[in-house]
Amino acid sequence: MAEEILGTTWTVYDADTLTQAEIYGQTLVDLGAIHPEIVGVTADLAKSTKIGKFGDAYPDRFFNVGIAEQNLFGVAAGLAKSGLVPFVSTMAAFASMRAAEQVRTDICYQNLNVKIIATHAGLSFGAAGSTHHCTEDLSILRAFPNMTVIVPADGIETANAVRASIKHDGPVYIRIGRGFEPSYYKNDDYGFEIGKAVSIRKGTDITLIVTGIGVLQAAEAADLLKENDNISVEVINMHTIKPIDRDAIIGAVKNSRRIITIEEHNIFGGLGSAVAEVIVESGTACAFEKVGIPDEFSIVGYPEDLYSHYGLDSNGIIEKVREVMGKDFEEDDNWEDEF
Amino acid sequence: MDKELIANRLFTHSVFPVIKVVLQEDEFYKKLFSNVEARVAIKAEDKGAVLCFNNGEYSLDYEDLETADITFKFSTIKKMNDFLRGRLVLPSISGFTKIALLTKVILLLNSLKIMMPNVRPKAEDKKYLKVKMAFYMAITSLSQLNKVGDADMQKWVTKQPDRIYQVVVEGTDIAAFLRVKAGKSKSGRGEYKRKRPFVTMRLKGLDGAMAVLLRDVEFIEAVRKDYVSIDGAPEYAAQMNDYMMRIQAMTT
Repeated sequence: MAEEILGTTWTVYDADTLTQAEIYGQTLVDLGAIHPEIVGVTADLAKSTKIGKFGDAYPDRFFNVGIAEQNLFGVAAGLAKSGLVPFVSTMAAFASMRAAEQVRTDICYQNLNVKIIATHAGLSFGAAGSTHHCTEDLSILRAFPNMTVIVPADGIETANAVRASIKHDGPVYIRIGRGFEPSYYKNDDYGFEIGKAVSIRKGTDITLIVTGIGVLQAAEAADLLKENDNISVEVINMHTIKPIDRDAIIGAVKNSRRIITIEEHNIFGGLGSAVAEVIVESGTACAFEKVGIPDEFSIVGYPEDLYSHYGLDSNGIIEKVREVMGKDFEEDDNWEDEF
Repeated sequence: MDKELIANRLFTHSVFPVIKVVLQEDEFYKKLFSNVEARVAIKAEDKGAVLCFNNGEYSLDYEDLETADITFKFSTIKKMNDFLRGRLVLPSISGFTKIALLTKVILLLNSLKIMMPNVRPKAEDKKYLKVKMAFYMAITSLSQLNKVGDADMQKWVTKQPDRIYQVVVEGTDIAAFLRVKAGKSKSGRGEYKRKRPFVTMRLKGLDGAMAVLLRDVEFIEAVRKDYVSIDGAPEYAAQMNDYMMRIQAMTT
């Protein structure tokens, strides 16, 4: 019964569009046909996390450990030690917090080839409440040595990330949402590469470094800002939080001198912090703002309302850009010295 | 605002500053003024500037137009502008007895003619000097045009967020930039490094720059012939070029 409730969607704008999780499930089925070493593991969330599709296709390569998330990752570690490549699916809050020790010690410490697909991340589980939101996972997971952390923008990028994770030796955490988040990408041949940011809008006045669902919102905001405010906005899809693309960040600082990070995550320890670390370490200076969930437990509501509340939608981004554009990119405010 | 007043502002705040280039880059003038310590005023009505020479250093004073070793005084602003446009206008000159200084200053002012669109230097060092002075002057003029209150320029600058427009002559150290931000403007010399400019106009060497400055080709034709390439928004580069053409028309 509980699983059926979790499987309910509330924002079905386009029933023909697959969710990130559904695309993940289908991609895994496709990969399973050519990679016999892939196995699926879940903790009683096969339907909600869509790994059940893999189980339907390859029942002898699929394991449900029951509602026991710590055990889920311990089992996955054992499967990886035996030469298999387990894809583990559960909700992000469980993967990153309830089972944090197992992920860290059983998997990361041994640098095992376990792929974690964490669903219902960020605010995407809106009405389920603050306890089921997951706005701390990026901070936690990127602190684990050996872990690669990816936040796809949409279903198409999720498929790219899953395919890329097969080729990557070591643990990978792929963070996806739950609902029918609209897609940004129209096809998958834009050159996805783990650790390599993707430029999706060129601009020189300000740079938005974005991850996850913010990519589409930032792209829309950039187009509107160009049209209405004549502000030239660069947008970078930073799909990999760890290892982060340092060159892209430093290039952006030199390009626009104004950086805003946008993430469906707490402003502490996630994308914004990772970007800030790179900027500070590089010795460059710029105007810098982080957009995300402030230091509070996120409120309860439909995801779209929560995105709006926290300024993660295109309107919120536009407002933030206008605010930051009021600041100088250099301190020189002597407009008379021209000799 | 009166066109002659605007032109006067361009002469005093954009042309006089590039005298520094002559004093730094041309060995003849560098030597000629190396030991000069003097103030030379060029003024009409209450407008003008004092050229300050201090043993090789050069600066401008726009406040105290009365304290000067030599003063070129014109009865009208238009006459002062015409003099600086290279036309035959005779000012009243005080300090006439300082004949050595006067000769040096007249020679120096005469050197500004190299910026005129009909002057075609053949020697590479003179081409370099012309291109450098002309672009420094043009970029500073863009900012001054805004500051002096030219309605079109003010409208153009007011609509823009913090942006850099840059001119670079490839294969040389010649570069100048204009920073604009919501109505404010400022020019600078050298390549702007703190952010990627909104527009960079790249001229292909001294010859490409000369072709544009001498108006041998129109801007669009210059782009087509590869004398100029544009990084950034081409429509804004074209607007910038239009303003530079206006400046040339006002100062020649």
